[in-house]
Amino acid sequence: MELVLFYAFAVLAIGSALLVVSLKNTARALFLFFVVLFGMAGLFLFALADFVAITQIMVYVGGVLILMIFAFMLSNKELLADLQNTSSRFLSMPNWQSLLLTLGFLAVMIYGIIEWQQHTPNWITQNIHKGQVILPSDNNINQLGIKFMTHYLLPFEVISIFLLMALIGAAHLSRKEDKQ
Amino acid sequence: MSSLFIHILTPVAIFLFIALFTLFAVYAERKIAGFVQDRLGPMETGKFGLLQTFADILKLLQKEFISPAAADRILFAVAPILIFVAVFVGFSVVPWAADFVPANTHTGLFFIMAVVSIDAIGILMAGWGSNNKYSLLGSIRAIAQMISYELPVGLSLIAAVMITQTLNLNEIALNQGIYSEQDLFFLGIWNVKDIGGILSWNVFQAPHLLVSYVIFFIASLAECNRAPFDIPEAESELIGGFHTEYGGIRFAFIFLAEYAMMFLVAMLGVVIFLGAWNSPLPNIGNVRLADWTTGLYWGIFWTLIKSLFIVAVQIWIRWTLPRFRADQLMVLCWKILIPVAFLCMAISGIWRITVMV
Repeated sequence: MELVLFYAFAVLAIGSALLVVSLKNTARALFLFFVVLFGMAGLFLFALADFVAITQIMVYVGGVLILMIFAFMLSNKELLADLQNTSSRFLSMPNWQSLLLTLGFLAVMIYGIIEWQQHTPNWITQNIHKGQVILPSDNNINQLGIKFMTHYLLPFEVISIFLLMALIGAAHLSRKEDKQ
Repeated sequence: MSSLFIHILTPVAIFLFIALFTLFAVYAERKIAGFVQDRLGPMETGKFGLLQTFADILKLLQKEFISPAAADRILFAVAPILIFVAVFVGFSVVPWAADFVPANTHTGLFFIMAVVSIDAIGILMAGWGSNNKYSLLGSIRAIAQMISYELPVGLSLIAAVMITQTLNLNEIALNQGIYSEQDLFFLGIWNVKDIGGILSWNVFQAPHLLVSYVIFFIASLAECNRAPFDIPEAESELIGGFHTEYGGIRFAFIFLAEYAMMFLVAMLGVVIFLGAWNSPLPNIGNVRLADWTTGLYWGIFWTLIKSLFIVAVQIWIRWTLPRFRADQLMVLCWKILIPVAFLCMAISGIWRITVMV
């Protein structure tokens, strides 16, 4: 049952991602992107990362995707047509380059998987033997919070400052300029 | 096999409940509107007009599917389903009584916030798919409003979560009554673990949560696109807003989603701030009112009564207050609700480390 669901989510994510890049209708592609993100969130659930899965939906669907659709809706029609023309020309010329890029990525990933299977780190096998693994019923939000405020405090604060900078920048840009 | 059966039965039960609730709420809405405006409301169909909403839904179900010629057919057809499913899924983690909850997860509250934000995509899809200027304007207004008001909702919920220390809605509910395993303090001083009742609700455990709840209530009205925050479907300016082009069963689903959303936010507010399924009656000496009125059936009863009361307040507000202008809406959100919600959050932190040690 779980395996069926896993493959269903995987097919959903990959299939709709392929459609997103191949659709001519930009509006439909943007809405289809929601399905990709949803499938990804489902895959995160299978890694027992429920918090990450929900954050994915919250941040990407509730924020980023809506922003993208807004940008699409508010942009000029001619500008969009122009963009579509140039982008198709841009993509059609170096077809072999993008193919090379994707093949490279695939090779890196396959190499990673093979390497991982041959030399699994010691601490992982040890913990599996001791039974120190995360169970689906565990509450890992507390762990996340504690880790954020201890181990990963510096990155966490850096991100906060970065977001604050973006917020102040947005407020500054949208402010009415004083005429005098 | 039996677990699979339960997995199918629960959603069906929730769906039936939403459908029944919508029928009832539309009737209540009309009757309350009639009362507020000093008229009778529906009176012709059935005794006291009780069958009016049944007649309406029958009419909607019989209607033909019509898609406008210029509409994007796929987006137009998918949008109502997405809007409804987003709200419907939200019901899956809200507890009805002690340990009587469709899905008991550690991330319940966060999950609801996330799936409700999917609703916005559905509205945008409906507005764009209709290919109608009024629909598009309505949906853009709806999104601007929903995204802005998600912040006060989130911040007021964070203030409550800082006090409860868990995102699990079942545990949040449990820690507001006599079944709680930890000590509960009325206003932070008086241990009311055995007394229970209204004294152990979250809003009275930490009084600043009352302010938080008011913020949550106001912002949740905006999340449901209800008056006084109904500029997305302002009839006088935009015909019907994002659902102008919809008719028949598709319109029925959008309508169902709207009323389900009303009940969902009412229930969420009840679970987090107003004691969930716990009885409001405290134990007084030997008169064990709280003990007598807590249990599975009592729990469902109290959840329903409290939520329906909040829904009634929502309806009452709709027929009392005039609609906000767009700029007033944003001023209220960004200059009043969000700063106050931040203040509540800060007080929650101080309360946690000074009073609840």
